[in-house]
Amino acid sequence: MSQISFSSTPNLVLRLPMWRSRLILFLIFIGFIALIVRAVWVQGFGNSFYEEKGNKATLRSIEMPASRGKILDRHGEVLATSLLAKAIIAFPDAIPEDLSKEKVSQLAKLLDVSETELRKKFASERNQVFLKRQVDLDIAKQIRELGIPGIAQNNEYKRLYPEGEAMAHIVGFTNVEDRGQEGMELAKEKELAGQPGRRRVIQDRLGRYVEGLGIINPPKDGADLQLSIDSKVQFLAFNELKAIVEKHRAKAAGAVVLDVQTGEVLALANWPTYNPNSRSNLSGEQLRNRVLTDTFEPGSTIKPFAISLALEKGLVQPNTSMSIGKSMVVGKKAITDTHQYQVLTVSEIVQKSSNIGTVKMAMQLQPQEMWEMFQAIGLGQAPNLGFPGAVAGRLRPYKNWVPIEQATMSYGYGLSASLFQMARAYSIFARDGELVPATIYKTNNVPKGTQVISAKTAIQMREMLELVTQTGGTATNAQTMGYRVGGKTGTAHKVEGKGYATNKYRGFFVGMAPMSAPRIVVAVMVDEPSTGGYYGGVVAAPAFANIVAGTLRTMNVLPDAAVKQMVDKELQLEPNGSTQKVSLSR
Amino acid sequence: MNRSTIILLIILMLCSLSLVAAQQKTRSLYVALERAQTEERRLNQDWLRLEYEQRNLSKSSRITDIARKQLKMQAINPGRTQYVVVD
Repeated sequence: MSQISFSSTPNLVLRLPMWRSRLILFLIFIGFIALIVRAVWVQGFGNSFYEEKGNKATLRSIEMPASRGKILDRHGEVLATSLLAKAIIAFPDAIPEDLSKEKVSQLAKLLDVSETELRKKFASERNQVFLKRQVDLDIAKQIRELGIPGIAQNNEYKRLYPEGEAMAHIVGFTNVEDRGQEGMELAKEKELAGQPGRRRVIQDRLGRYVEGLGIINPPKDGADLQLSIDSKVQFLAFNELKAIVEKHRAKAAGAVVLDVQTGEVLALANWPTYNPNSRSNLSGEQLRNRVLTDTFEPGSTIKPFAISLALEKGLVQPNTSMSIGKSMVVGKKAITDTHQYQVLTVSEIVQKSSNIGTVKMAMQLQPQEMWEMFQAIGLGQAPNLGFPGAVAGRLRPYKNWVPIEQATMSYGYGLSASLFQMARAYSIFARDGELVPATIYKTNNVPKGTQVISAKTAIQMREMLELVTQTGGTATNAQTMGYRVGGKTGTAHKVEGKGYATNKYRGFFVGMAPMSAPRIVVAVMVDEPSTGGYYGGVVAAPAFANIVAGTLRTMNVLPDAAVKQMVDKELQLEPNGSTQKVSLSR
Repeated sequence: MNRSTIILLIILMLCSLSLVAAQQKTRSLYVALERAQTEERRLNQDWLRLEYEQRNLSKSSRITDIARKQLKMQAINPGRTQYVVVD
């Protein structure tokens, strides 16, 4: 068999028509063109559709959480803070029908709801339902461990108030959406609230964020807020109120402590109160911040202002004697005192709180002068504290005053003020005639006040106010161990309907300490004391004394009154070195 | 194809590979960063919680209560106080 080479095989000699191979070539070419066009389309012009598909699988826009600012006291102690908590959400459709009874009861127990209630929520028509909000993390963890399908958890914040009811009226509270509802939480909502941000990331198959594509808007944490309140002083004042309300079966009570050097509010306490951590069945009575929002006729606590105006105008001197007598008639009304005096000096009028003596001085004043005085000490204007609901009280224009009104106003009827306004007004005596601008925020600089009366008058009035707390005065109960104190009592009939209630009173005491160089003004108000007396000197003065003693001790203020030592001499410390001087309770 | 083209081709391939490697590294670093940031947030929350707990344990009402009832202590007064003035 002869070999035939491949190239000379007779089969190849066969000639096919040329067009057939051309056609095939052309079809292949067309095929490639189609592929190229498609590729250009997919990668170029019609790209957005596919890009979207791709992004959907990997791109994520996620929230960047921001926290609400804390509220701190003057020493940086936490008064309100936000902790992470979980919202427990159920998707009723995804919850299996045959969920074991045991698991439901376990869940109900953890959520602290009844089983029937829980089942009702599972049967809900809605897409998703909140089972419970603001659940603590450890409980949320136990719920997750139950492994019930169709139950999810979301991050949220829970606001907590460690000081509880003692601080409730100042700090206030937020709602479940973390928005301020009362107190500072409401007043400073804008600053405290955080603003969550958003950013874009690429997520991989395992759900990890593998690449950041930038921040859409950055998160902004809420700013912390530092108050001037001293939580120790606040607790002290609050406890005193609680004690008086119990002792005298009073309806309510309020107290405020003001640092007269800086104008800072150290304490502002109210009773009744509430627990901001568990707020259910809250009544308006509990929520009211009486110190700032309740106005009342200040009674005798206003007398020092009318009298200091008379001193200022040179109408009287502290030792000027005045005849008092049984009663004094102004217009159609007879003004009387609780005790009868024949003659009193101006100092004694303050000490014994004589209405007649005060009216005698006040009637020598022009209505405009008196009005200007009241205006200057802040009556009739809401204190600029930045606190929601602070009221102005009532001070009618002097042009409409009739003589009897001028007379009654001088001893505190016919005008009204809040306890806070009264406390601040007393700073003119404590600060040598200057009214201090009050603040609830911590400040480090000494503010400039407005001079209302001269320093001389203020010092004279301080001496008289100190007499009030000494033997023969109306408030011997205000005496404080170790410190010289001074102040003025007040007892006012409560207004009821159109007139005054005969058996309902408010007792107050507004005073300052230590008298050698006043640091604080303390005002205490007791509303409707029903047992054990009702005079300001009886119900409010003892609380004043306790608050002063505790506050000055926490402020490290040296006693300025003689103290009887109660400790053995041997136990006392010896002066140590030359840098220390030990002063044995001067 | 001359030699320079081949060298350039090899360099191109190396660059491409290193780009892929760099991207991979970026991503793993980013994952680590994410994890660290999550940890930071968690620790921050822990700190807030501990701060709250500390405050809860050191608040005046609790201290007063324990001092009076358990430790039978009495409130201090100026009569039992030695005042030391540092000049």
